[in-house]
Order: sequence, then C-alpha cells, then structure tokens
Amino acid sequence: MSKSTTNFYMRFPVMRRIEHIIMLLSFTTLGLTGLPQKYPTSSIGAFVLNILGGIETLRLIHRSAAVVMMFGTAWHILVMGYSVFVMRDQMSMLPSIQDAKDGIQALLYNMGIAKAYPQMGRYTFEEKLEYWAFVWGAAVMGATGFLMWNPITATQYLPGEFIPAAKAAHGGEAVLAVLAIIIWHMYGVHIKRFNKAMWTGTQTEHEMIHEHPLELADIKAGIADRRPDAATLRKRKMFYYPIAAIVTLGMLAGIFGFINTEETALTTITPLTETEIYVPQTPQP
Amino acid sequence: MDFRKLLRSTRFSPLRPYGTVSREASRIVRSTLRSYYPDAHSGVQALFFILGFGLLVFALVSLATPAQAAPSYQESSEPSYQGDKPSNDFCLACHQEEGIKITLGKESLPVTINPTQFGLSVHSQEGIACADCHTGISDYPHPNVKVKNTRDFTLSFLDTCKNCHEDQYTKVQDSVHQRAFDEGNKNAATCADCHDPHTQTRLTGKTSGELTPSARLDIPKTCAKCHRGIYDSYKYSVHGNALTQEDNTDVPTCISCHGVHNIQDPTAITFRNSTPFLCAKCHTDSTIMDKYGISTNVLNSYVADFHGTTVKLFEEEFPGQPTNKPVCTDCHGVHDIAKVGNSETGIAMQENLLTKCQRCHPGATANFSAAWMSHYEPSPEHNPLVYYVNLFYKFFIPTVLGGMIFFVITDIYRRIVNRAKGVKHS
Repeated sequence: MSKSTTNFYMRFPVMRRIEHIIMLLSFTTLGLTGLPQKYPTSSIGAFVLNILGGIETLRLIHRSAAVVMMFGTAWHILVMGYSVFVMRDQMSMLPSIQDAKDGIQALLYNMGIAKAYPQMGRYTFEEKLEYWAFVWGAAVMGATGFLMWNPITATQYLPGEFIPAAKAAHGGEAVLAVLAIIIWHMYGVHIKRFNKAMWTGTQTEHEMIHEHPLELADIKAGIADRRPDAATLRKRKMFYYPIAAIVTLGMLAGIFGFINTEETALTTITPLTETEIYVPQTPQP
Repeated sequence: MDFRKLLRSTRFSPLRPYGTVSREASRIVRSTLRSYYPDAHSGVQALFFILGFGLLVFALVSLATPAQAAPSYQESSEPSYQGDKPSNDFCLACHQEEGIKITLGKESLPVTINPTQFGLSVHSQEGIACADCHTGISDYPHPNVKVKNTRDFTLSFLDTCKNCHEDQYTKVQDSVHQRAFDEGNKNAATCADCHDPHTQTRLTGKTSGELTPSARLDIPKTCAKCHRGIYDSYKYSVHGNALTQEDNTDVPTCISCHGVHNIQDPTAITFRNSTPFLCAKCHTDSTIMDKYGISTNVLNSYVADFHGTTVKLFEEEFPGQPTNKPVCTDCHGVHDIAKVGNSETGIAMQENLLTKCQRCHPGATANFSAAWMSHYEPSPEHNPLVYYVNLFYKFFIPTVLGGMIFFVITDIYRRIVNRAKGVKHS
C-alpha cells in the first residue's frame, strides 16, 4: 500500500471552501423550505411547515436563503474572474468532448466492457456534471424565482402565463436538483469514498493518483498552473479590480432589484363589502 | 257564577275547533253576547254564550266545516281546560277576533291570532297549547303585562322555546345574534324573530329531518326581515336569482353558508379562511354541478395555486390568523356572486378580473390577470406554456435521475466485483 501521507496537493483554497459552505447551507435551506411549498398537503410537508412556523415564515426563510445563494453566486463569479483574468488558470471546469468519452468509458468499465477506468484531470466528468448541473439549476431557479417574486414587473413585459409556468419550472427543477444532489453528490463524494477535500482543502498523492492522475502528472511535469510573478500579478490586479468593482456593483444592484423591484401585494386587504348589516324591512303603517 | 269551574266540571267543551268556526258565526255570537254582558271580556262572553247557545254553534259549525276544509286543526273533544291550562279553543275564542290589541307603554301590540294560520303551524299540529308558552295566563282577566314596549314583550319569552327546543336554543347561545344581544342590541334576532311561534310551519321533513324545499325557498325572506340590504344583493346574484325567480333549491340560501342557530361572525378570520371549503361543499359535488356544466375541479385548481395553497395552510394550521391571499369571495363576490361569463361583471373577462387583481396588486397591468389560470388544468388549449413545462419536467427528471441512478448502480456493481476479485479500484 502506497498511502502517502507526506505529499498533499492543494485542491480547494479557503475561498472555494467558503463558497461551498455558502452554497451548501443555502441550497439545503432552499430545498427544505421549498419542497414543503410544492407538496404542502403531504405529511412531511405539513410537518416542516409547522416546525418552521407556517407558510409565510417558510417563504421568508426561502427567500432569505435565495438571497444568500445569490450572494454566493456573485462571489463565485468574482472569484472565477480573478482565476481566469488575474491568475490565468486553466479553465479546467469547462466541459469537453473528452468528458463525454470519459463518462462513457467509465460506464463501460463498470459494466465490464471497457478494460480500464478513464484517467482524468483536475475535474472528473462526474464533478463537471455536478457543477454544470448546479449552474443550470441556479440559472433556472433564479430566473423563475424572479418571475414569481416580481410578477407585476414581469408581466409588464411578458405574458401572464409566464408566472404559473415559472412556478411549474421552479418546482420541477427543485425536485430534480434535490434528488440529483442526493443521488449523484451523496454517492460520488460521500458513499463511494468519503472525500474530505472540500473541507481540508487538500488531497493526498494516493488520492490524486486514483482520482486525478492527469492533473498529478501535470503537476509533476511542472506544466500545471503556475503563480505569475509579482509584477505581472500586480498589473493584472490593477486591471481586474476596477472591472470587478463595477461588476460587483452591478450584481449587488441586481440582487437589490430582485428583492425590491415591487411590492407585489398589499399586506392587508380592505373588506370586500362595507355592507350595512341591520337594514330592517319596514311594514306600511 | 264561576264559568271555569262549570266548564271543568262538565268535561265537555261545546266550542268546536275554532278553525272551523265561521267568521259569521263568531260575529253573531260575539255581538249577541256583548249586548247581554256589556262589561264582560268578549272571551268569557263567548264561553258563557256558548253554554247557552251550544246548539246554534253546533249547527253553524257543521255547516261551515266542509267549506272551510281547514287542513290544520285537529278536531278535538277535549275540554276547555286540561289540568290548569285552558285549551287552545278557549283562548282562540277571543284571540281570533281581528284588530284586538293591548297597549304597552306608547306602543300597541296586536294580539289577534289567525286561527287558520295557527292551525297550519307546527305547534298547533303537534298539539302545543297556548298556555304551554303563555304560562302566566290561565283565565280572564289576564294578569297585567309589565313590559313597556313590544320588543320587550317578545324578549320576555326568550327562554320559553328552550323548554322544547333545547338543542337549537343552546346553539343560538353561540351565535353572532346572541353576542350582539348580549352586547346590548335588543334588535338582535331571537327565536321568535325568525320563527313566529303562531305561524311557523314545519320546516323539515318529518321522517327525513331535511329542510323541505318550500322552507328552503323561504329562508332568504326570513333573514331579509333584518338584513334587507344583503337580501337585495343576494336576490340578483346567480344563486339568489335562481332561488327567488326559478324556485331552484340547488342554490345556497343564507343558512347554507352562514349556518343556522349558531351563526358565526362572517367577518371573522376563521370564516374567511374556511370560505373555499364552504363553497367547495357544493362546487365539488358533481351531482349538483353537472346539471349546470360547472367544473368540480375548482377547489383543486385553487389549492394548487399560490393563493389557494396559502389559504389552505392557514385554514389547517392557523385558522385564526389573517392572510392577505384571496378566497373565493374576493374575486367572485360575496352575496352578489355573478356568472363568470357575464360580459359586464364576469371575471372570465380579463378586464373584469384585472380589477379584482388590482385590489391586492395595485400595480397590476393588463397581462397580469393571465397569471391566474382561471381554475383550468394546464392543457394544450388552456395555459399551454405551463402544460409543456410540466411535460418537459415529466420526462427530464426521470431521464436525468435515471441516468444517474444507472451509473451509480454500475459503479457499485463494479466495486463489488472488483473487491471479490481482489482488484483494486482505479
């Protein structure tokens, strides 16, 4: 057994781990408070509704968690911008034909058809699938969530039917996302092997050999991401930070707009009829 | 001479059932008697007279009987007194006279009892004696009435009905009328305001216990005595119009929604929150709705929507807490519920519905009302976008998850096989 405990390879820097925690918490909260809204009459739905203080409280928590996720997404965009424009890292998360080939090969290997399991780089096809599924989900949920949160504004530009359609998509996507996390994420990083990299930030050489052999090879060969020299870094930062600041302002404005575009409904409705209750019939004298 | 003793001792009432006494006979008898006994009360006069002119009365009565053919009052050969109570014949002999009144303070109270109407009443038919309710009176002259107005006179009988109708009486104690009464509103309805004990006919089938169709048709008129404004609104509604114009007993009357006897405060939050389920009692009943081609899916489609989900949850978990989400009546109206297809007010018209939306969504513009699916199940005809989104996820979810599950299973399989072979997983 060549379990090396001496060589650790950085996999997720602190910032990425924080992102993960933000997404983990907001996603879980969104799922827990969202599904009872989709299935309010189920016993579990009713149970969650009750312990969280009723539907209106649940909606408030749900929307708060959505805002947290929006901040998480904005933060991720900034970090990605830094990685791409300042550090000039390889865009190793982008999907490629190779990922499809790897996926098929892995499946064939599992079924006993292919001889070997595919060798993969920094992100395996499983990880990329999950990442892009999350991106897709976040986009759908964000867009449909906006429509439901701001239906009056939305219907100034879109047909009214988009609102119930958004609700349908939001619910369908929610079921898909939660179950996908349970099946794919749980199996991939908890059951198959309890992968602590997202918490410790590092992986051992042994783990790298098994899971990311191509990345390890790149590191060993010295062609993996290298930190730019200080002068270049400073120059790029000078360029990136102002742009990032503008983008940040834009995203904050977007989030603010998401929350505050409209006061959808009055909180109290005036009674429908101010009827005089006692109007007796008067007999002729 | 003590007439009462005489009557009692004879065990024989010469007075035929008043329902069968012709008015002419009564008039003759009374006027004759009055001339003999100018100081006596006409009732006693009548009795005295009857003793003397029994045969004449018999003759008149038997002549009048077939013509009157009153279905009501059962012939009885009971004496004028049963125990301490005077018989109804005894009372009505005087009280059938038209125009007799007693004066209470500044008001006068008519005390005429129409024998025919009383004979048709459920109390008469069940053999209830006047004196069962008018307990303070056993002969003439009657004791003085102490109350100073007619309302107080009615109220002096408040607990009388309880003797026989305890169930209803107890329910009333929990009603909005009783509460208003307890708060000092003397106009609040009491038993006799809705059920005139002298004329109230049987309301429910004797065996079925169900409200009879004719009783049902009369209910709104009863409530209208005090709630005329609401009645006028109801009368022109889709429900009220069918009831008042077509004698349709499928439609709700006042008590269908408000209940009877233990009528609850319709402005209460609990009432509002339960409204959809109240309407649904009929509107999910296909035996009623199919006749009119009305969908019975209205509750399901409402509850499936954002508004309805909220209201249902409030109704179940926090029935006393207000919610700003609409119930049926917020869009369809309360007493003035109209057909949705009505071109002037019908909310099947987007413009009309929009005004309803704007009550809670003041900024709503033309497209907004279409966000409500109008109780339709999404289909290629109605709300196709929603239908196709649902259809997409119907296939997309199983496809994605199925693929994932398939991969996971093959992976587990490979691990088991490899472990058995002693192969280290790559």
